[in-house]
Amino acid sequence: MSSMLFVFSRPPHGSINAQEGLDALLMGSAFTTCSVLFVGDGVLQLVAGQSTDALGTKNFSLSFGALKDYGVTRIACSMPDLLARGLNKSDFLIEVEPLDAAGMQALIRHHDKVLNF
Amino acid sequence: MILHTINKVAGLALCQHLIAADDKVVLLEDGVYLGLQPLAFSICAIRLDVEARGLVGRLKEPVELIDYSDFVSLCTEADKICSWF
Amino acid sequence: MNFAIVVHGGPYSSQACLSALKFAKAVLASGHSINRVFFYHDGVYTANNLIAPPQDEAPVSRQWQEFGAGNKIELIACIASCLRRGILDETEAGRYEKSGSNIAPGFTISGLGQLIDASINADRVVTFGV
Repeated sequence: MSSMLFVFSRPPHGSINAQEGLDALLMGSAFTTCSVLFVGDGVLQLVAGQSTDALGTKNFSLSFGALKDYGVTRIACSMPDLLARGLNKSDFLIEVEPLDAAGMQALIRHHDKVLNF
Repeated sequence: MILHTINKVAGLALCQHLIAADDKVVLLEDGVYLGLQPLAFSICAIRLDVEARGLVGRLKEPVELIDYSDFVSLCTEADKICSWF
Repeated sequence: MNFAIVVHGGPYSSQACLSALKFAKAVLASGHSINRVFFYHDGVYTANNLIAPPQDEAPVSRQWQEFGAGNKIELIACIASCLRRGILDETEAGRYEKSGSNIAPGFTISGLGQLIDASINADRVVTFGV
């Protein structure tokens, strides 16, 4: 069975792309071995303390806490993209593994299929 | 070998750390504008997109112009495809 | 080799939909096969049968219909993306008590599982994003 890597590169609330990417990851994890890699502005999806009630969009970041329960194997992010935004992993609402370039390239190599959102 | 596709200039920022030495890159759609700047890796660009934007003869060496059939061949030679957009 | 193709962009709002069609035609012309084309995000607008483009612009949605029917390729539009964007078949129009359906011929509305299934079972997955 093919393993799948989901790559998230969009910030959370400016469009629905991030939310629809998460939907795909949760579905994927029901079928096969899945991991997720946050790159670029995608790392902003992980920031703790998102509050969208007044905005009227769905606070799907709450679902990230369930990724391990869904069996998502590795939850990783781009360390260079994290640092470029002045963030570190303590800003995140879940435990995430920051990877350098070599680590990210290895993660891509070790999965059979890559879906980007 | 992993094949990366980039369809807009901003897509390069997403994947610049992820392109390994033996990987290949295909520029398509607005991604072909990246061919106007010097790049650190070898690049193919979809000919139709380059022609549509008036960029024939304006891209930096060594951008190679390819057709969709070449794009398909590159996909079959690659282990997997990563699309950056 | 067997390909799965994923389309995130709708006709006229991005080039992705047109690029994906050119790629899909080249896949078949090269002697390979396509297990499914999955339309996600705004890509599901491709399945809107009410699109009426000017005569001097490419009828991208109809070209996809003809490609799917002519080559017996499954064109799946994600149900969650469709419902959010007002693309309905008879069943969904009935379920949500809407005045009519607008899914284009040759497209099928189905779940995200079809994306995962196509990706797992294809030799290669190619996404045309926006």
